[in-house]
Amino acid sequence: MDLFNQLFLGFAVVFQPVNLFYCFIGVLIGTLVGVLPGMGPVAAMSLLLPATFHTTPVASIIMLAGIYYGAMYGGSTTSILVNIPGEAASVMTCLDGYQMARQGKAGRALGISAFGSFIAGSIGIIGLVLIAPPLVDFALKFGPPEYFSLMVFGLTILTFLTSASMVRALMMAAFGLIVGTMGLDNISGLARFTFNIPELLDGVGLVPVVMGLFGISEVFLNIEMKVKREVFTTKVKGLLPTLQDWAQSIGAILRGTVIGFFLGILPGGGAVISSFVSYAIEKRISKHPEEFGKGTIEGVAAPESANNSAAQGAFIPLLTLGIPSNVVMAMLLGALIIHGVTPGPLLLTQHPELFWGVVASMYVGNIMLLFLNLPLIGLWVQLLKVPYSILFPLIILFCLLGSYSINNSTMDVAIMMVFGVIGYLMKKISLEAAPMVLAFVLGPMMETALRQSLIKSKGSFSIFFTRPISATCLILAIALMVIPLLPWFRRPGVSLEQEDVK
Amino acid sequence: MKKTYLVNDLVWITFAFVVCLGGLKLGFGSFHAPQAGFMPFLAGLLLGILAIVDLVQGFLHKWERDKPDKVIWAEIHWGKLITTLSALILYTILFSTLGFLIGTFFLLLFLYQVMERKSWGVVLIASGVTTGLFYVAFKIGLDSQLPRGFLGF
Repeated sequence: MDLFNQLFLGFAVVFQPVNLFYCFIGVLIGTLVGVLPGMGPVAAMSLLLPATFHTTPVASIIMLAGIYYGAMYGGSTTSILVNIPGEAASVMTCLDGYQMARQGKAGRALGISAFGSFIAGSIGIIGLVLIAPPLVDFALKFGPPEYFSLMVFGLTILTFLTSASMVRALMMAAFGLIVGTMGLDNISGLARFTFNIPELLDGVGLVPVVMGLFGISEVFLNIEMKVKREVFTTKVKGLLPTLQDWAQSIGAILRGTVIGFFLGILPGGGAVISSFVSYAIEKRISKHPEEFGKGTIEGVAAPESANNSAAQGAFIPLLTLGIPSNVVMAMLLGALIIHGVTPGPLLLTQHPELFWGVVASMYVGNIMLLFLNLPLIGLWVQLLKVPYSILFPLIILFCLLGSYSINNSTMDVAIMMVFGVIGYLMKKISLEAAPMVLAFVLGPMMETALRQSLIKSKGSFSIFFTRPISATCLILAIALMVIPLLPWFRRPGVSLEQEDVK
Repeated sequence: MKKTYLVNDLVWITFAFVVCLGGLKLGFGSFHAPQAGFMPFLAGLLLGILAIVDLVQGFLHKWERDKPDKVIWAEIHWGKLITTLSALILYTILFSTLGFLIGTFFLLLFLYQVMERKSWGVVLIASGVTTGLFYVAFKIGLDSQLPRGFLGF
């Protein structure tokens, strides 16, 4: 009954016209950036973060969350019709989605992708509602050692899963930690690595860093590449899956949903990993694995369901523990802090309207997305035909103005440019930006937790191993670092830059 | 030998060394009373050790798992890349002096021509319209404090 009342509160919040409006704008922009290759949800969220300064925290988070799960829907359109993933989580959809389109089944691929996403998203939200409140009670037992160890565990999982080289991914995480120390020291107030520049006293902003690493660097890469987009010009028809399609793909959808949700909750997990894992499992258990990659509908249904339910699951660690599990959640954490809201175990009691409002907005947003992605598919197809020579100046301008308008400072623009060049060079040599950004966000929290723990234990590191939760997290993290050294182990990590999607 | 990855590791090792020195300069403190340089030193140390491990792994496996230098640096449009980057740096420097409208108009004029040669009439109109739309969105819609520049607009 209590849960029902809280959900009712959430729907009362989301059905306020202003919140409904922001929800719609969020999912619309999410679909847009999902459809357009070269601009993912992270860049879009950082771009629009300044736009939310004038609104309430609830409306702001509703919109930013909408961009995230909206992009999961939109990304599939580009994967299926152009064979270029609209965003990273749609890479696997290219493999069978594009083949289906070539066989004249583009409509069915788009249809099952949208319905699968809707089913997975809806189930994911139910999981979020059921798991988040009990986890809050558990999280109240966390002290600085537990928080530190959990963050170490999260970073280790991310480096373990996302990169072909764990050493290089850990290097990027260490780099992120260093960048995160710039600015005034939280405890002593001493300026660190500020080079006598007053604007750096507050540290390096998340938005310029993310826009540089994900937005500007992508533009630089696209300038040098001669990518020819071949969009299917024939009319996309038959969007409603047949009974046979449903029979073939319902198992894949449900399995993808469960896998995606739990990988989404895991610190360091997320939509990209989920789509890879669900595709691999689906292929392994299939009675006809040889058809994967040649246009089988399960190959579209599984990753698309997984990335959507992962998008919902990823909210759990952020809203209950205050720890972002991936880069997108790090952006949301930044947004919450800017709005004066501290995410964590107390969020549910101090800001129930925000927690339940965001949860309810996901129900509404998923329904909006179904309508945006099926009847309006023609519009998105037209959008794909916009030449990159027109798109790229617009992306650059959005990044420039987005960075500038946060503090009205050209220093932020300069920082964005620096990270744009760094991001470009990192992509050239397949260094992952995600561990760097997550470590950059978690760095200050990790430092505070580490120093508090050591002060409490009078300098003894045993505090991290004598407390059960902390010890479990650290042992798991150490195990993840040791596993790749074992001779029989084959790395599961897939570097997105190296992923060959042709 | 893949020089790119060798240079990459050497750059990270140097950077890590500088960060460690910076951390020590800020004050490491002790384990029971960590100071401001504690975290930078540890993070720098971690980065340095990892970069050395990566370098050793590279020498042992002769960078077989990495992309060849030719693949990394082939087919780069250096001209486009450098001119775009220069234009963006120039825009950042002159943004406050020129003001949003003039600065953005000229930046777009340049960017639209960089990717694909188009007729000047089309580019002038496109740049003007885009600048106007961005001005409306950011200045009027989002109430951003865009610089006016020396001409006052």
